[in-house]
Amino acid sequence: MLHQTRSCKAFALTSAFLLFAAAPAVAQDIKIGYNGDQSASGAAELGVAGRWGFEAAIEDLNKAGGILGRKVVGLIRDDTGQPPKSIQNMTELIDNEKVVAVIGPTNSGNALAWLHIPQQKKIPVVVPVATGTEITTRYAKEPQNYLFRISMVDREQVGLVVAYAVKASKGKKIAIIGDSTGYGQGGIKDATEILALHNVQPVATEKFGAKDTDMTSQLAKIRDAGADTVIIWAVADGTAQVLRSMEKTNYLPLTLGTWGNLSSLLPKIAGPKMAEHIIFAASTTEDSNARTKALAARVRQNFPTLTTFACSAQAYDSVMLLAAAIKQAGTTDGEKVQAALENISGVQGMIKLYNKPFSKTSHEGLGVGDFYLARWKGAQVLRYEDAVTKALTPADLKR
Amino acid sequence: MVSLLQALLSGLALGGIYGLIALGFNITHNTTKTLNFGQGEFLVVGAFVAVSAVLLFAGKGITGTLQPEDVTIARYFGSMIVTIIVLGMLGVALYFTAVRPFFGHAGLAWVMSTIGFGIIIQNTALAIWGPAPLAMPSPVGNDVIRIAGAGVLPQEISVLLASIVVMIALDLTLRKTKIGKAVRAVAHSSSAAALMGINVPAIVILAFVVSSSLAGLGGLLIAPITTASVFMGLTLALKAFSAAIVGGLNNPRGCMLGGFLLGIIEALVGLWHAELREISIFVLIILVLVLKPEGLLGQRYVEKV
Repeated sequence: MLHQTRSCKAFALTSAFLLFAAAPAVAQDIKIGYNGDQSASGAAELGVAGRWGFEAAIEDLNKAGGILGRKVVGLIRDDTGQPPKSIQNMTELIDNEKVVAVIGPTNSGNALAWLHIPQQKKIPVVVPVATGTEITTRYAKEPQNYLFRISMVDREQVGLVVAYAVKASKGKKIAIIGDSTGYGQGGIKDATEILALHNVQPVATEKFGAKDTDMTSQLAKIRDAGADTVIIWAVADGTAQVLRSMEKTNYLPLTLGTWGNLSSLLPKIAGPKMAEHIIFAASTTEDSNARTKALAARVRQNFPTLTTFACSAQAYDSVMLLAAAIKQAGTTDGEKVQAALENISGVQGMIKLYNKPFSKTSHEGLGVGDFYLARWKGAQVLRYEDAVTKALTPADLKR
Repeated sequence: MVSLLQALLSGLALGGIYGLIALGFNITHNTTKTLNFGQGEFLVVGAFVAVSAVLLFAGKGITGTLQPEDVTIARYFGSMIVTIIVLGMLGVALYFTAVRPFFGHAGLAWVMSTIGFGIIIQNTALAIWGPAPLAMPSPVGNDVIRIAGAGVLPQEISVLLASIVVMIALDLTLRKTKIGKAVRAVAHSSSAAALMGINVPAIVILAFVVSSSLAGLGGLLIAPITTASVFMGLTLALKAFSAAIVGGLNNPRGCMLGGFLLGIIEALVGLWHAELREISIFVLIILVLVLKPEGLLGQRYVEKV
């Protein structure tokens, strides 16, 4: 009995010592995770651009003395576009690395696979790339929703793209084609709903496998349905294959798509001629102002072939908003940071000056009003304007 | 009508690739009763080696960006030779590290070891060529060719022609030449072949070289259509394996037939309901396995005890 008590005491002493020894090391750094596809899917280029924007923001924070006097450390994880890998990264970052927040992911399907993890563990997440509408709304009715976003949310992009399609299509014959991932299917759902707000029914709705190389059969059905406008909801490689199939079947309707087409894969796979055929939504360009120019130059040092600058800017702004919230909360405690995020104001980002970007009811930092249409011209993406875009009024931007 | 022809053309091009990889499964299965389950990763490496070879011929670094004018037909053929040699050597490495240690033993250790070998080379490819997909412009241009109203890419025709040529050449070699007869003899009975003075180990190594080269060739041919991406192998290899099962794993002609059949079924079903494509293929496989387990053209061997 005596022996047992002694060993208990020894154990308690050792663990107290260990805790004491470990505590200062933990208190030193504020760890923020970055989890997104940087290698596999068509969204990888967006993920790599986001990663360097994320690292640039952390560099800037540390130059300015860190957050709450503590150094900020970024932990990069690649989820290779696979939901199981993405889930594994999230648990590893939160449970093993004890990150205080996560920036990511790039693919909406992956976000939807792990939303419940940060929500249950009270770890704020700012999504810098993935655009699936449901990401920020699934837990909107919970007392605290830990999912925030600085990106081109699908619903808002769809709002712009559909408004343009409805104005531009002569017979109001609009078709939708999307890939079979969560991203494509979410886009199809949003587009169908927003078309309904304009009192338009899509004449055809088709889908294709994300790695398919031939969509001629789907396009044949869309053409037979008489569509003069096609909305493609897919990442760049899938969209490029649809464009190629359009060329094969010699069917060239007005074609609209997602901001994923910023990826340089689009002109590489579809060819320069077909790449210029599609009009899509975008959030910012690197020539917007001196800050964006400087950030683009920094990102290019690590990622020379950057064409998806918007993601770098969005990831940069995500980190800055998070830092502002931690400063305001005065702690890294998830619950308090979440509450602070809903109340921050006056944060200068790359894309704009964020004045109360988030509220209890809206966790979207960017909206349809921040977006414009763009199109490839040779090796770069330029802003797209015509009579239809000029005629668009705020009332047209239904969502 | 045009869309039917369009689907047929598209299906044939993809079917050609399935057939080539299926042949690779067939040739090692016949000679060693083992398969390289990393065949898809070999295809990936083939595609990357091909892109890099063209880049080197064009005087650029191996991970540069190819412009359409960099890819001439001569460079493409040069890169084909490089790809076949590199992949052939990988096939030898595969045989000695992942197949031979388990050869002749009962059990399925070789299944795990070939999958493992595939994962090793896939991650090596990731380390060398990095994450982003590499685009390879087609050597025969990017302008759509019209056949009776249906459009087809020149590369798709090249894929179809090249796979047919390779299939016929392989078929003739197996049936008419001495070495081909030796391969078939080993396939029939390696012990009897050894007694007849055939160098069985050499034939087995040759089988792995040919099998890996076929995967490499598949990668080279498909890269201009899909881009070279580290993660493209699995789906293609799975479809090719399905093609081999449907056509008959032990019959090279069956594998080719299975490849084309699968490609065409995919395209035609897509014309009707795109989401039923995968379902229809795997339903077909189950049907074949139930009704004719040896495959459409496969032979049933009766084991005499």
